[in-house]
Amino acid sequence: MASRGRQEDSLPPSPESPHTISEGSSTCSTMTHNICMVSDFFYPNMGGVESHIYQLSQCLIKRGHKVIIVTHAYENRKGIRYLTNGLKVYYLPLKVMYNQSIATTLFHSLPLLRYIFVRERVTIIHSHSSFSAMAHDALFHAKTMGLQTVFTDHSLFGFADVSSVLTNKLLTVSLCDTNHVICVSYTSKENTVLRAALNPEIVSVIPNAVDPTDFTPDPSKRSDSGTTVIVVSRLVYRKGTDLLSGIIPELCHKYPDLHFIIGGEGPKRIILEEVRERYQLHDRVRLLGALEHKEVRNVLVQGHIVYDHVAMEAVLPIDKRLDRLISHCGPVAGSIFALLVVLNFLFLTFLRWMTPDSIIDVAVDASGPNGAWTHEYSCSKRKGEE
Amino acid sequence: MALKAFFPTCCASVDSGLLVGRWVPEQSSAVVLAVLQFPFIPIQVKHLLAQVRQASRVGVAVLGTWCHHRQEPEEGLGHFLEGLAAVFSHEPWLQLGRERGSTFWSCKAIWRPMSPGASGQDQVMLIFYDQRQVLLSQLHPPAALPDRQAGDAPASAGGLAAVFDTVARSEALFRSDRFHEGPVRLSHWQSEGVEASILVELAKQAAGPTCLLFSFLLSLLSAVGACRLFRLWPLPSICSKLSTCKQVQHRLEHLSLIFSTRKAENPAQLMRKANVCVSVLLDVALGLALLTWLHGKGHIGQLADALVPVADRVAEELQHLLQWLMGAPAGLKMNRALDQVLGRFFLYHIHLWISYIHLMSPFVERILWHVGLSACLGLTVALSLLSDITALLTFHIYCFYVYGARLYSLKTRGLSSLWRLFRGKKWNVLRQRVDSCSYDLDQLFIGTLLFTILVFLLPTTALYYLVFTLLRLLVVTVQGLLHLFVDLVNSLPLYSLCLRLCRPYRLAAGVKFRVLGHEAGKPLRLLMQINPLPYSHVVRTYRLPSCGCRPGLSWSSLCRKLFLGELVYPWRQKGDRQD
Amino acid sequence: MEDEQSFSDICGGRLALQRRYYSPSCREFCLSCPRLSLRSLTAVTCTVWLVAYGLFTLCENSMILSAAIFITLVGLLGYLHFVKIDQETLLIIDSLGIQMTSYYASGKESTTFIEMGKVKDIVINEAIYMQKVIYYLCILLKDPVEPHRISQVVPVFQSAKPRLDCLIEVYKSCQEILAHQKATSASP
Repeated sequence: MASRGRQEDSLPPSPESPHTISEGSSTCSTMTHNICMVSDFFYPNMGGVESHIYQLSQCLIKRGHKVIIVTHAYENRKGIRYLTNGLKVYYLPLKVMYNQSIATTLFHSLPLLRYIFVRERVTIIHSHSSFSAMAHDALFHAKTMGLQTVFTDHSLFGFADVSSVLTNKLLTVSLCDTNHVICVSYTSKENTVLRAALNPEIVSVIPNAVDPTDFTPDPSKRSDSGTTVIVVSRLVYRKGTDLLSGIIPELCHKYPDLHFIIGGEGPKRIILEEVRERYQLHDRVRLLGALEHKEVRNVLVQGHIVYDHVAMEAVLPIDKRLDRLISHCGPVAGSIFALLVVLNFLFLTFLRWMTPDSIIDVAVDASGPNGAWTHEYSCSKRKGEE
Repeated sequence: MALKAFFPTCCASVDSGLLVGRWVPEQSSAVVLAVLQFPFIPIQVKHLLAQVRQASRVGVAVLGTWCHHRQEPEEGLGHFLEGLAAVFSHEPWLQLGRERGSTFWSCKAIWRPMSPGASGQDQVMLIFYDQRQVLLSQLHPPAALPDRQAGDAPASAGGLAAVFDTVARSEALFRSDRFHEGPVRLSHWQSEGVEASILVELAKQAAGPTCLLFSFLLSLLSAVGACRLFRLWPLPSICSKLSTCKQVQHRLEHLSLIFSTRKAENPAQLMRKANVCVSVLLDVALGLALLTWLHGKGHIGQLADALVPVADRVAEELQHLLQWLMGAPAGLKMNRALDQVLGRFFLYHIHLWISYIHLMSPFVERILWHVGLSACLGLTVALSLLSDITALLTFHIYCFYVYGARLYSLKTRGLSSLWRLFRGKKWNVLRQRVDSCSYDLDQLFIGTLLFTILVFLLPTTALYYLVFTLLRLLVVTVQGLLHLFVDLVNSLPLYSLCLRLCRPYRLAAGVKFRVLGHEAGKPLRLLMQINPLPYSHVVRTYRLPSCGCRPGLSWSSLCRKLFLGELVYPWRQKGDRQD
Repeated sequence: MEDEQSFSDICGGRLALQRRYYSPSCREFCLSCPRLSLRSLTAVTCTVWLVAYGLFTLCENSMILSAAIFITLVGLLGYLHFVKIDQETLLIIDSLGIQMTSYYASGKESTTFIEMGKVKDIVINEAIYMQKVIYYLCILLKDPVEPHRISQVVPVFQSAKPRLDCLIEVYKSCQEILAHQKATSASP
């Protein structure tokens, strides 16, 4: 299974559609999948995970797979929407609990998710982000239903505080029977393997890429009075805003010609404002507030140093990390989760008794080999080529 | 587009003749209004139609022929009818025919051959409608009709609204009744004849002067109300708090609406007037019933005798409650000193109250008698007065509540600001946000000390606050129920509801169709019926505005206010935001 | 012309679809649900009465029994009059409009008529309903101000909730009439 998941992302089969025959080389192994992306984070929410899911889905659709996305409802955006190329998005009406992720009960999302998996004839579940409770739920349910699963981890996480302990525990449980795991960098792989106590062989790395040439500092736009550091990120704890606020006064004290331009918005903005007021740095630290996506480039090229926050990395000796992990992965938690799995299975059996698979309508495909949009899309592509 | 012929059911059995009606080209539908009977003189017909057209501003014309074969079909009649097409030219020329013994009718639309866009084999639909119901009904929501004075063009309202409008406007056509001997005989829906009873005529004659008289009296009253004396400082604010004053004002507005000499411009206003009138009448009737009951068998005396002991009893119960609170209520251990101080303070207050009640007791019967008289203004006024009296009689509970709330809110505010001090934060007044701040040792010490004291004294205050808030909420609930009833009487559109009950077609939400049957080669026959407005819509559309003395607080904000110890009033505060 | 077919609703219950073609321009679709079954009625009544009897043995107050009878009767009447819909009809008449009627078990009927001038289209849509994702047929209404916008979506067969195969049948028939309507209204 691991190899198939790998193949799908790195060496997918060429699209199986009648229009490619004209191009000659139909090397098609006609393996197409019905893939369901599950994550709490998707548009209209903005961020790295969201755009990753969107771009990945678009690429998979181009390869001829059928892709649907399942996420939770954002305010009045609920129900079923279609995006470019027939990418079908389910916005499920589940209650958002904290930080845009739903409550994890491992049960209440089962009926809806099962209904979707059955009606869309899903074969592979691809979950994203370890912060997303829905992703974990989907992995859990998919395994109960006997589907293949892939998980992509997007972030690094610590081991020390309460929330990370809980998340790591959950990750351990949900990843221990996931078929394949994808990480976005080698550091992330190391981190994920440790946190989830995984076999490193089923973890592969597909780096997220930013084209750095777009953001090369533009000498004509910079001010010559000194060095300018530009920070563009969401101002939240996870992106290291606390570290930034600690380091600004020291750096400013040390290098009198240093300037900061900070773009972005978030709950930790107030800390930066306080630092600026306390050390009288109004002329050297500029807060730009929320930026549009297209403005980001214009801001970034003004600088001398580009500081790209990926995340703060918890640097701990490896033996300590292992010790901690082992101490947290006791027999108690294991038996609790085993019980949950049994309950989940019973619940699924009950649901199957209530609404058998046979009376669930099969959804009309939007993307995929015989999707409603596939024909249109390939036509328009050919027109574009001509 | 299929051609639709709207045909009144009352004309289905009349003799052959000409179809008079209006052609709506946008809908390609012909609205037949009446059947013109033989014999006639074409000039007179044209003259009559021109008259109707001028009166109603509807393009009434001869649409075609109607042929009812009672006996064997006569060859001559058919030719004669075809010949009429030349006399009254119309595009298209309809030929409706009804065979004897057949339920299916024949209908042909003949377009002149050279006219453009004439698709010869058009489908024709026959739609029957009840002329009386369509004439009297009123569509909801009202279609945007152009003013009769301004727009001489036919109504631009689309679809079926056009049909309704046509029928309603050509009332002039229906004015002639069965026994009218004119040059032209029309058959259409006919009213049973106007009930010209003497009483109705007299009422109509008397209505004008009565209205004038009453409106004069009302204007006098409002002039008195507007005089300088009532603008002095305390009166307006007191009036705005007393529900009786508001109710009386509300009723005065209603009366001035009823007796206003202006004519109602549209059906909605007319309906509103009728609703107000019925509501006032019902109110006064109920009030008079209450009055007769009160003044009947010395009920006032009984009430007065009962009232003072009840007030005494309430005060006594309160005393017991306070004594219970001063001990160890529900097994809680309170701060003894504070408990005693608070308890004594409230006990003294009750003592004052009891003496006040006893001072009042000789006059209670007199007061009640006068209050009872107010019922002749209406039940609602009496109920509002009752609500005000309740408020006055439970003034001590209100006082307790205010004291408790003030103390409690002082504590919560102190605690919240000291909690900020603990966390090394402070409230920045200039920026309206919480800033971090470093305190020195003395400040922290004093803060901690005060915090501890406040925390330990909080349960005692909170208990008193809780008990008195519950009492206060009880009183407010009783008042709220009274207000709810008053609002119900004030705002229920009784006339519209009765109309909906007895004449469902008067208030139409739209139409509904029933398929009567179809036979190959013959037009489809449909029956158009009025779809009456549901009761919920009637209430929503015709609800009268109530006097609006609602608290205007949402549940969450109410709970938040109660928790923080802010004062809750049953009336709307000036500073309250509308959200 | 009239024919009848059997379909199932989203919960697996049986539905009967009757199609009546009065004329090429007038069609009627009638979905009827099974009537209230004696078994479920008996079950509910027995449960209420057993609970009431249990309470009665506990607190020895005969008011409870009479209240139970009253509640059952009122509940049954309310259910038949306001909740249980036996039959839903969609009548589509070319160049006149679309009429939806639902017949309650008590005989009450509620009708909505939409004029053809307001109808933009009839489509099948997907929605999340309770713990299910279902297909439903709906009528899109034009915005009176901007004719290209949709002002309202009116769902059809709200209580019967037939499955996709049944909806497609109705949808195709409706589209024939709508296409004819568009063709004739555009030509003159």
